[in-house]
Amino acid sequence: MRMRTRAAYGFLTPYLLIFAAFWVWPIVYSFYLSFLATRIQPWRFNPGMTWGRLVVDPAFANALKNTLIILVIQVPVMIALATLLAVLLNSQLLRARGIMRFAFFAPVVVGEAAYAAVFRLMFNADFGVVNKLITGIGLPRVDWFASPTAAMALIIMAVTWRWVGYNAIIILSGLQAIPNDVYEAATLDRVSKPRQFFFITLPLLKPIILFCVVLSVIGTMQLFAEPFLITNRGGPGGATETLGLFLYRQGFTVLNFGYASAVAYTIAALAIFISLVNLWIGRSPK
Amino acid sequence: MRTTLGGAALALVLTAGAAPAFAQSGEITVWSWNVAASALEATVEGFNAEHPDVKVTVQDLGNDQVFDRTLAGCAAGGGGLPDVLSIENHEAEIFWAQFPDCFTNLKELGYTEEIASGFPEFKRVELEVGDAAYAMPWDSGPVVMFYRRDFYEKAGVKPEDIKTWDDFTEAGKKIAEANPGVVMTRADFNGDAEWFRMIANEQGCGYFSNDASSITINQPACVAALDAVKKMYDAGIITAADWNEKIQANTAGTAASQMYGGWYEGTIRNNSPDLAGKWGIYRMPSVTADGPRAANLGGSSLAIPTVSKNKKAAWAFVNYTLGTNEGQVTMLREFGLVPSLLSALDDPYMQEPQPYWGGQKVWVDILETLDEIEPSRGTPFFGDADGIMIAVQTRYLTGEFASAQEALDDAANQIALVTGLPIAE
Amino acid sequence: MRSKSVSTLRRSIALHAVMVPLAIVWLFPIWMMVVFSTMPENAIFSPNIHLIPSDRFWANFNVLQGDTNFLRAIFISVVVALVYTVLSVMLTSMAGWALARYAFIGKGMVLTIILGTLTLPYFVVVIPQFIMVARDFGLANTWFALIVPPLFNSLGVLFMRQSFSMMPADLFDAARVEGVREWRIFLFVAMPLARPTLAALSIILFLASWNNYLWPLLINNRPDMMTAPVALGSLIGLTKVSWGGIMVGAVLLTAPMIAVFILLQRHFIAGIAAGAVK
Repeated sequence: MRMRTRAAYGFLTPYLLIFAAFWVWPIVYSFYLSFLATRIQPWRFNPGMTWGRLVVDPAFANALKNTLIILVIQVPVMIALATLLAVLLNSQLLRARGIMRFAFFAPVVVGEAAYAAVFRLMFNADFGVVNKLITGIGLPRVDWFASPTAAMALIIMAVTWRWVGYNAIIILSGLQAIPNDVYEAATLDRVSKPRQFFFITLPLLKPIILFCVVLSVIGTMQLFAEPFLITNRGGPGGATETLGLFLYRQGFTVLNFGYASAVAYTIAALAIFISLVNLWIGRSPK
Repeated sequence: MRTTLGGAALALVLTAGAAPAFAQSGEITVWSWNVAASALEATVEGFNAEHPDVKVTVQDLGNDQVFDRTLAGCAAGGGGLPDVLSIENHEAEIFWAQFPDCFTNLKELGYTEEIASGFPEFKRVELEVGDAAYAMPWDSGPVVMFYRRDFYEKAGVKPEDIKTWDDFTEAGKKIAEANPGVVMTRADFNGDAEWFRMIANEQGCGYFSNDASSITINQPACVAALDAVKKMYDAGIITAADWNEKIQANTAGTAASQMYGGWYEGTIRNNSPDLAGKWGIYRMPSVTADGPRAANLGGSSLAIPTVSKNKKAAWAFVNYTLGTNEGQVTMLREFGLVPSLLSALDDPYMQEPQPYWGGQKVWVDILETLDEIEPSRGTPFFGDADGIMIAVQTRYLTGEFASAQEALDDAANQIALVTGLPIAE
Repeated sequence: MRSKSVSTLRRSIALHAVMVPLAIVWLFPIWMMVVFSTMPENAIFSPNIHLIPSDRFWANFNVLQGDTNFLRAIFISVVVALVYTVLSVMLTSMAGWALARYAFIGKGMVLTIILGTLTLPYFVVVIPQFIMVARDFGLANTWFALIVPPLFNSLGVLFMRQSFSMMPADLFDAARVEGVREWRIFLFVAMPLARPTLAALSIILFLASWNNYLWPLLINNRPDMMTAPVALGSLIGLTKVSWGGIMVGAVLLTAPMIAVFILLQRHFIAGIAAGAVK
């Protein structure tokens, strides 16, 4: 037995060392940093400059607001679309299934830098293909990077394009785990297809959909590369500045590590809080 | 060690401009951006004539990236930094405030008071702290209006008649009418506040007071500047475009004017060679008909990080490129960078008519504004203030504030919160 | 029976009426990436619509290569992703094995900490990680900085633990009775059995490393140590670089992953779906 315990520690130790050094310790250290004023050497204890500022900082409030807007609009739209796609991709009637899957799953492998560059070009106000198509059918052109609303819409579209397939894969796997006889019985009882979807499929998928929601919430809370690269650092004028980008700016362009750590902890607390609310909403009624 | 350094300094002073008394060798790497990088590259040939054994590599990383990476590098104790760094003057003070140990005091390498006094005082103030000089002034950015002669002519607009921003707006409407698809001008409303800064500086106002002790962004002159921007925006004569999109508009012929520092001369000339003869310049308009018509935008300096393994070669390069007329005039000729070095301004090249600009003596016109420019200090908090101003500008342009005064009061309060500085009375 | 097939047909038409346009919209950006990468600069910024690839791919590639040495960036990305994947699979398999198959003091605590911190956003640690690796260790711009800190990722631990714990215990007990050493059991009995899981995990880790943007952006500020996504991102916002060149970079960054996706689709999907199957 003692031999086996030693073996267990032997297997575990290499990973644990890395885990402790690059995950656990930074989490603790970050908490400590969040109480320090770090703008002028030497760093000193002054939570008023970090947590105190957080409460009253309009720029933080703006980033929080933008993140919540994305959260409230983008996450439900994307999850609904992902569910729809999963159901439709699972349909026996679908032709060219391979190409269809490829169309929606391929964006998952496209890196942020690559797709950001493509979106920048496609949505260029003067020469972008999207505006050419829009004006081609007689609609007014949209200044995608200059109008705050349009820029926000652009970020939401981009993130949805990239991640809907990812969620559809997860939901599809849940869908395929539902035994077929459930539907066969329902069909025999003359339950219509839409009713089957709402009264059988959705309740069975609920845990998986909630899982997707939690993943998306965490993802949105740290959304960074898209507003950094597509809307040029949260433009226009901070209209698409997310919490992730705000943290980057505080941490690495004005170099305020203490304040950035307080922001990081707030992001984490919000992510956990929203996830818990989701789980609470989705708890099994007993 | 001290004596050797002193000796080296002495040697440099004695031989400035002439062949060096001792040869430098090795490789140095320089970080810069856009035309500034190209300009530095253009001086390498002349530098190598004097120092054949130094191999200079200029890397163009883009303006934001150089700043971000330099900060990150200094935060990492200097790791990864090159031998020579380009630093924009108004962004410079954050470096000396946070990381004084990251940069070499150039005076230890031979940057004597005699050399330093060859630069105007307002270029030096942001680069020197006490006895230490962390960077050497490079270029300045006297603002002018660049314009398309053909578009203006077609609308019957004469640039000399444009004295105020209201004149500019009226002209813009005529030009758009006469040239379908052309917009009077562009401003980076998405990620910058350069038009506000230029007009504010013209009116004698900036984010901070020049002793860096208080916030002045909500002073009347700044309010007038933001007001002017908003009027032009509302009239539809300025549309949003970032640096790249402005260039695209220039080459595609959809912009009738661009306002920038004199260094934009090189950008237009190099990016749109086909448009030779079609561009010209005139002085920036003012708020009132007899108001000031000069401002500065941009202007940079070169610094040497302490981690550089070849500081002597780095200094030799910096001193050649920035400290000699030959270096400075090369950068002007090739890429339109306006020298800070006062003696370079007397170079005969400045008086020549420029074929690209339709024979206009653009440098005479650009340089004559130099004396009228009000200094404007960046302070260590420039990044904070600029970020806040960009956001406030967007909110104001989209109608969120009742007046420019209200918008700038809001900006001033935010800057006060972030920096702890008082708002000037 | 007739009415049934008519209704099936109608449903099929409705299904494709939704899916075909959606699929076209979703494929469009990837298609445009390819188109842009083959176009000369003045065609990208022209008033006409171009939807068909042109023939300037090589010319654009040469511009890109001249501007950033993109091949070196790709090389760095490949090495980092490969080494990271191998190391992470090894480390997390071992840890997963220990947590699945042994009882030892502290096991509950280790599991709780791993699970409890799983949902924390990476942003919480990025600043202290940066301070530690760059300033305290002085390891900015090194292979170590690119590869080792991201190894903390605990997804593989849970993934492998689940795979190992579903294997029948007799198998390992039989080997033990024969006196086979623990590490040999792990290496030669358990690991081969976990092959499908290992394949899925490897693909996910490789993809994560290949596309990782924020950490390499922060920790390596020297142009010759940039990974491909960082090199590409750094071009956006420059003046001299052609967008055609940037698009070539985007294609080079994306094409290998698309190939992996097509060839190993099953493992790939299993890897993504596994996150949800708890």
